[in-house]
Amino acid sequence: MNFVTPAAFWWLLLAGPVIVFYILKIRLRRVPVSTILFWRQIYEEKPPRSIWQHLRHLLSLLVQLLMLSLLVISLTEPYFSWQPLQARKLVLVVDNSASMRATDEKPSRLHKALDLAGSLITSLRFQDEMAIVAGTQPQVVCGLTGHPRTLYNALNSITPTDGPTRVADGVALAKRLIGSSRNGQVIVLTDGCFVGSEGYLSAPVADAASVGSPAINNKTNTDASSVGHGVSVQLAVIGKRTSNVGITRFQARRSLLDPIGYEILAEVVNASDEPVECRLEMELNGEVLDVVPLQLAAGAEWSHTFEKATADGGTLIAKLNRPDALETDNQAWALLPKREMQPLTLVTEGNLFLEKVLEANPLVQLTVKKPTEPQPTTPGSVVVFHRTVPAKLPAGPVLVIDPHGSSEFWTLGEKLPNPIVTKQDKDSPLMAHVRLDNVLMPEAHKLTFTNPEQVQVLVSALSGDPLFAAIEHPGGKVTVLTVNLDEGDLPLRTVFPIMTSNVLSWFAGQRGELRESLAAGAVVDLKLSQAGVPPEAVLQPLVLVDPQDRQRSLPEKSDKVTLGPLDQCGLWSIKPAPKEPAAKEQAVAPLVQVACNLANRQESDIRPAQILIDKASESPALRGAGMRPLWYYLLVLAWLLAALEWCLYQRRWIG
Amino acid sequence: MALFDSRFLKQLEYLSLISKRVFRGSLLAQRRTMQLGGGIEFADHREYTAGDDFRYLDWNVYARHGELLLKRFQEEEDLHVYLFLDCSLSMGFGTPAKFDYARQITAALAYIALADLDRIAVIAYSDQVVADFPLTRGKDRILSLLRFLENLEPQGTATDLARVATVFTQRTQRRGLAVVVSDLFDPQGFSQGLDILRHRRYEPNIVQVHDPAEADPHLLGELELIDIETSAGQKVTITERALRRYKQIFQDHQQAVRQYGRKYGLSCIQSPTAVPFDELILRMMRTAGAVQ
Repeated sequence: MNFVTPAAFWWLLLAGPVIVFYILKIRLRRVPVSTILFWRQIYEEKPPRSIWQHLRHLLSLLVQLLMLSLLVISLTEPYFSWQPLQARKLVLVVDNSASMRATDEKPSRLHKALDLAGSLITSLRFQDEMAIVAGTQPQVVCGLTGHPRTLYNALNSITPTDGPTRVADGVALAKRLIGSSRNGQVIVLTDGCFVGSEGYLSAPVADAASVGSPAINNKTNTDASSVGHGVSVQLAVIGKRTSNVGITRFQARRSLLDPIGYEILAEVVNASDEPVECRLEMELNGEVLDVVPLQLAAGAEWSHTFEKATADGGTLIAKLNRPDALETDNQAWALLPKREMQPLTLVTEGNLFLEKVLEANPLVQLTVKKPTEPQPTTPGSVVVFHRTVPAKLPAGPVLVIDPHGSSEFWTLGEKLPNPIVTKQDKDSPLMAHVRLDNVLMPEAHKLTFTNPEQVQVLVSALSGDPLFAAIEHPGGKVTVLTVNLDEGDLPLRTVFPIMTSNVLSWFAGQRGELRESLAAGAVVDLKLSQAGVPPEAVLQPLVLVDPQDRQRSLPEKSDKVTLGPLDQCGLWSIKPAPKEPAAKEQAVAPLVQVACNLANRQESDIRPAQILIDKASESPALRGAGMRPLWYYLLVLAWLLAALEWCLYQRRWIG
Repeated sequence: MALFDSRFLKQLEYLSLISKRVFRGSLLAQRRTMQLGGGIEFADHREYTAGDDFRYLDWNVYARHGELLLKRFQEEEDLHVYLFLDCSLSMGFGTPAKFDYARQITAALAYIALADLDRIAVIAYSDQVVADFPLTRGKDRILSLLRFLENLEPQGTATDLARVATVFTQRTQRRGLAVVVSDLFDPQGFSQGLDILRHRRYEPNIVQVHDPAEADPHLLGELELIDIETSAGQKVTITERALRRYKQIFQDHQQAVRQYGRKYGLSCIQSPTAVPFDELILRMMRTAGAVQ
């Protein structure tokens, strides 16, 4: 037996006063009574200072001395000499993924895992060290330490997330922490709802599982991921096989046909062993958009694409009306930005196709003018020049179709007969869903650009001459289509309205563009300027606000920001940082919003493998959990002795 | 506040009136004494012995049966009331002190007796007679009696009614009621003194007072109990069980006093000091009526 702090034995000197007080005894309280006749009568029957009573006092003294000794020995923190030789390095990998939010274990799987981790901390022996790894992106919450309070504090800092399970990464990190230490041990506190969870069972277990044998008693895998060397990885499984129905996909995109239309893709999975009936409700800005009754067989999935239209945009929410153990996947979000109306002036001598194509776009406010009429000067207004080209193009977005003149950006050349499209820039948003190689275009014009560096050729002919090009200059954006619309069948093809729609979208920039819903745990890079954040707003301090209204600061004056990991489902916002702490409460309009959904079938399936459940109670990881150091038991013994002394004391009083 | 203030005197007057109206002749003086003597009311016969007065021979019985029987008559004379007030230190115990309570009772009984034209004497005692208020008669003596009572203090080293009774009965005086107002915490036992009085043909009446804290003491733990009469100490560990036992013993003591009274046909009133003295006196009146 050794002691960590042998100096604490000095406290044994307190035995002196205890003995002195016993010998001296405290003077009895003198109480006058009218007669002691009756009292004498009592104690004549039973003498008060009998041998037993003397012994009882002596026993009290011994109990007090023993109690003092136990307390002092506790203070010295005794340990067995074999303990330093067998000091362990434990790393707890706490799975705080979305599935750990399941409430089949009360209050939740994560809470139970943390309780279990707490009992493992209390069971640390002398010179044992423990580290804690957790997170959507596994990180060391607490490095190797033997200080229980630090470990408890670290444990308390672990919060539930909606992120995916990354046990393998956590285990790899844990093994790196342990390194080549002897007696290294990784304990994974998880619900086992991830691919390869059974791989953490030992080889005999896997074999047994394959033949369905229940005779499995070992869940230790000395090297499941072949990263660590001789490090024992043990799985402590929390949770039961619990049914759950969840939304696994929820995305919205622009309709290819309708500029204000959009399509919603929703997918629901029944991750349970029995059929389920439920209802999927969709709301846009609190108004019910659609309600779909669902009948899902066991393990079945359902997906559907809805086509809706709105120019106002808003927040789209899908809800499952069936309460279950995992709430986080019963709701999903998508964002529909507002579509702004686009004023457009068509300057042409007359082209019915062109007018109708532009008119067909519901976002366009079309004005047709003759070249002789005064041209528009409204800022932001799109101007489409058909054939006629002013010497100086107006500032702002300009589309030039079949130019018959030069401008400051190009010089008009000779006609190109029967240009054959040989090259198309498929990556450009202007060319999305556009294929011109089969379109008959008998005539075009050759253009020579004055500053080719500004020009992005989108479609070029066999001769290398541009047929469709985009120019970005400080004054605005210009696109030019050199094809003669009257001669070919381009206006008759579906590609023509698509092209015009692409051009108008390109002019509008990112404004009104859909931003896809992200999966929980994702990390996304975002260009604020492209996301529609005004340049002056980029220069001020910004914060990222999560769905629970917690704020994280973003890098200052940086156009490109990295968001994430987005570990909570809901709407994340980028807002200007409040200037004063008190201003936090004030509602500030978000500059950018991002929807984040669980969208993870694995997380929605909260049914751990049966073999893991069967062996949960026999997990070697839990063996010894709740065991406490020696001083704790000495302390308990001291308290028991205190209780005994209390009984003796009470016995003296109550009899 | 003085022990016998004007309010107290009013209460005494009230009690006196009550005793006349409701309990006429039933409390003290106006009742017939148990003494046999030279009255006119026949009591019983006894055998003639040499030296008896021939005038009391019942000649009718002799004529019929030939037996010499002497007629006895109930004596009709003023009742002498002897009030024995316990002045031992144990009577100073309690809040209010038992002694004050006992003095009030004594004064009340004396007042009622004096109002009924009887004679009273007060014998203050502890281990011996510490003060004596001689036999007196007339209501006008009440103030001097109250002064006498007011000047008394608990004293002595113990209670010894037997010794006091012995000394008392050796005096040449008429028999009468002997009202003992005491807590009866007598180391020699309460009955010895009463027996002496009884044997000397006095009629003892018992008024036993006690403090509520004596019947139900709130004592626990290791204490040194000091007897305020003898200053003797007793180191005890008072447990709940011991406390229960004490209460039982105390009740047994009270019960013994009651039984003694019943056994010899004596009036016995027991009361804690919490009961107002006038209420106690009324109770005594009722009890006396019932006994007679």
